[in-house]
Amino acid sequence: MTSLAVARNVLRRILRDGRTLALIIILPLFFVLIYGNSFSGSYSDLTIVIVNADNGLASVRTQEVGRITLTVDLAAAFVSALDPDVFDIVILDDADEAFSMVGTEAWAALAFPKSFSNAVVSQAIRSSGERKVQFEGSSVTLLPSEIDAGPPTRLVIDDSNPLVASAVIAAFNDAFTAVLETQQSSVTVESLLNVQRLYEGKIRMLDFTAPGIIGFAMTLITVMLTAMAVVRERTGGTLTRILIAPISAWEVTMGYTLAFSLIALFQAAELFLVSLWLFDIRFVGDPGAVILVIVLFAVGLQGIATLMSTVAKNEAQAMQFVLFLLIPSIMLSGVFWPLETMPATMRAISYAIPLTYANSALRKIMLTGQGLGALTFELSVLGAIAVVTLLLSVISMRRQAYTA
Amino acid sequence: MTAEHVIRAQGLRKVYGKRAALDGLSLSVAQGQLYGLAGPNGAGKTTLIRTLCGLLRPDEGEATLLGWKMPSTRVRSQLGYMPQDFAVYNDLSVMQNLEFFGQLYSLRRAQVRERADELLDLVQLTDRKRDRVGTFSGGMRRRVSLAISLLHKPRLAFLDEPTAGVDPKLRRSFWDYFNALADQDVTLVVTTHLVEEAQRCHLVGFLMAGKLLTQGKPEEILAQTGTDNLDDAFIVLQERGEVPS
Repeated sequence: MTSLAVARNVLRRILRDGRTLALIIILPLFFVLIYGNSFSGSYSDLTIVIVNADNGLASVRTQEVGRITLTVDLAAAFVSALDPDVFDIVILDDADEAFSMVGTEAWAALAFPKSFSNAVVSQAIRSSGERKVQFEGSSVTLLPSEIDAGPPTRLVIDDSNPLVASAVIAAFNDAFTAVLETQQSSVTVESLLNVQRLYEGKIRMLDFTAPGIIGFAMTLITVMLTAMAVVRERTGGTLTRILIAPISAWEVTMGYTLAFSLIALFQAAELFLVSLWLFDIRFVGDPGAVILVIVLFAVGLQGIATLMSTVAKNEAQAMQFVLFLLIPSIMLSGVFWPLETMPATMRAISYAIPLTYANSALRKIMLTGQGLGALTFELSVLGAIAVVTLLLSVISMRRQAYTA
Repeated sequence: MTAEHVIRAQGLRKVYGKRAALDGLSLSVAQGQLYGLAGPNGAGKTTLIRTLCGLLRPDEGEATLLGWKMPSTRVRSQLGYMPQDFAVYNDLSVMQNLEFFGQLYSLRRAQVRERADELLDLVQLTDRKRDRVGTFSGGMRRRVSLAISLLHKPRLAFLDEPTAGVDPKLRRSFWDYFNALADQDVTLVVTTHLVEEAQRCHLVGFLMAGKLLTQGKPEEILAQTGTDNLDDAFIVLQERGEVPS
C-alpha cells in the first residue's frame, strides 16, 4: 500500500506539471512521426548528368537485302526509362564537363558514345542469333556479324555515399534492362558500361556515417551540458547573482560559449582520435577545416541549448526539451540515410537542423578531402546559426536573470 | 539624487495572478541607514528587494537607487545583493566562490584575499575556506552567501534573510557588523521574518500583504503601539490593520 501511495504521489506531481505532462504525451508521437516520415526507403531528386551523343542508328547485315540501317534510339530510350521521381536529369553536350560535376553537383554522369545504339544491337544479334524484323514493310532476317562494341559507355559515379551509389546503379540497371528487353537481348548491363567509382569503392558505410555520428555525439553532449548548466545556474540563483554584478549578459554568454567550445573541441578530438585509431575511419581532408566546422557548430548548439533552457523550469524539463533537437538530428540530418530519401516536408525540417550542415561539411572534408572553398554554403549556414542563436542567447540570458 | 536618499520607491505594485505581492508601496532610505524590512512569510519582502534591485519590473510605480532609475546597469558595481536562496556554487570551495564573484567586480586577487579574511572571520568560516560549499549546512551556506554579497564593499546592500538558520550568537555579530557598515555610510536593507531582530535597525518597515503597515525608528513604533517589543508591536499593528498614509 505504501508503494501505491508513492506511485500516486509521483503521478499527481507529474499531472500538476503541465509541461512535463505535455512532453510525456507529445514526445512519443513526435518520435514516431519523425521516424515514420523520415525514411521512405525510396530516393528522389538525385541529380545525374547525361551526355547523349548516340546517333540512334544500328547498321546490321540481313539475309535478304544486305546491310541496312535501323533507327533504334536506344540511349534516348534509356533516358526515358529512368524514373523521373528518382532522378533530376541534367542533359549536357560536353562529357568532360559532365564528369567534372560528379561529386559536387551530381551523383553520377553517364556519357553515351555516338555508336551506342549500334553497339547494343550488334551485341544483341550476336548473343541471340538470327532473328526477323520488319524493315520497310518487309520481313528481313538479321544476321550476326562481327561485334562492333565501339567506345564504351562511361559511367562515373560518386560513391562517397555507398547507399546512393548503390541506388543509382540499381536504377540504371533497371532502365537498361527495360531497354534491352525491347531488343530481345541477353546483353548484360555490365558489358555495356564502363563504371568508374570516384572513390574506387574505398568508402565504407562506417566511413560514410562516422562524420554524422561524431556530429551527433557533439550535439548530444554539448546541448545537454549547456542546457543543464544554464538551468542549474538559474535555479540555484547564481545566474541572478552574476547578472546583478557589473557584467553584461553578453559577457556571461561569451564566457559560457568559450567554456563549452573548449569542451566541444576536446570531445571532438576524443571522438575523432578514437574513431581513427580503433575503426580506421576515412579522413583525407584538412584537420583545420574540421576544427572550424566544429567550433561554429558548437557555438550554434550552445545558443540553441541556452534558448531551450529559457523555457525549461528545471533540469528534468531541460533534458526533455533537448530530445526535441536530438531526435530530428539523428533521423533527419542525413547521418544514416541521405536527405534524398526523405519526403519534401521532412527535408524542409532537415534544413533547419545544424547537424545537417555539420554532417555535410565533415563528410566533404573527411571522405573526399574537399577544402574550405567547397564548404562555403555549410560554413555560412553554421556561422549564421551561431550568430543568431548567440544573440538570442544574450537576450534569453538577461530574461532568465529577471525571471529566476 | 539627493545626497541622503539612496533608495526612493514610489507606488510600487507587482501582481502575481490575482494576488498583489506589492500593493502601491513607497519607500525612502537615506544613506548610511540600516533599514530593517520585517514581516511574515509571503508579506512581499523578497519581491520588494528584487524590484528595488531591478530584477523584477513593477507593474506600476518606479524605484530609484543611488539616483538611477531602476533597472539600471550603472548601479551594479555599488550594489550588494544577497538572495534568499543560497546562490552559491556547491561544487566550489568557499574561496573559489569568493574569487569568482570578486572577479566579476574586477577585484584583484590580493583584494579578494584581504576582503575574504575580514568576511570569513565575520561569518566564522575562516578554517573552512578551502572546503567545498556543498558539504556545508544550510546556515553555513547562507554565511558564504553573505560574504559574497559584501565582498566588493557595496555602497548599498540588500540582504534577504541573512540571519535565517544562523545561530543566535553569530546572528548578533552579523547585526553588529551591519551597524558597523552603516556607520561607514553603507546603506543596508535587511529583511527578516524575525520581527524582533529589526530592533537593531535604524529604521524599520513592517510589511504585510505587499503594504507597509508602518515605518519608523524602532522606539517610535514601540511608542506608537504602546508595546515594549517589536513582535508585539507588529501584532498590534496587524490587528489594527493600519496602513500608512
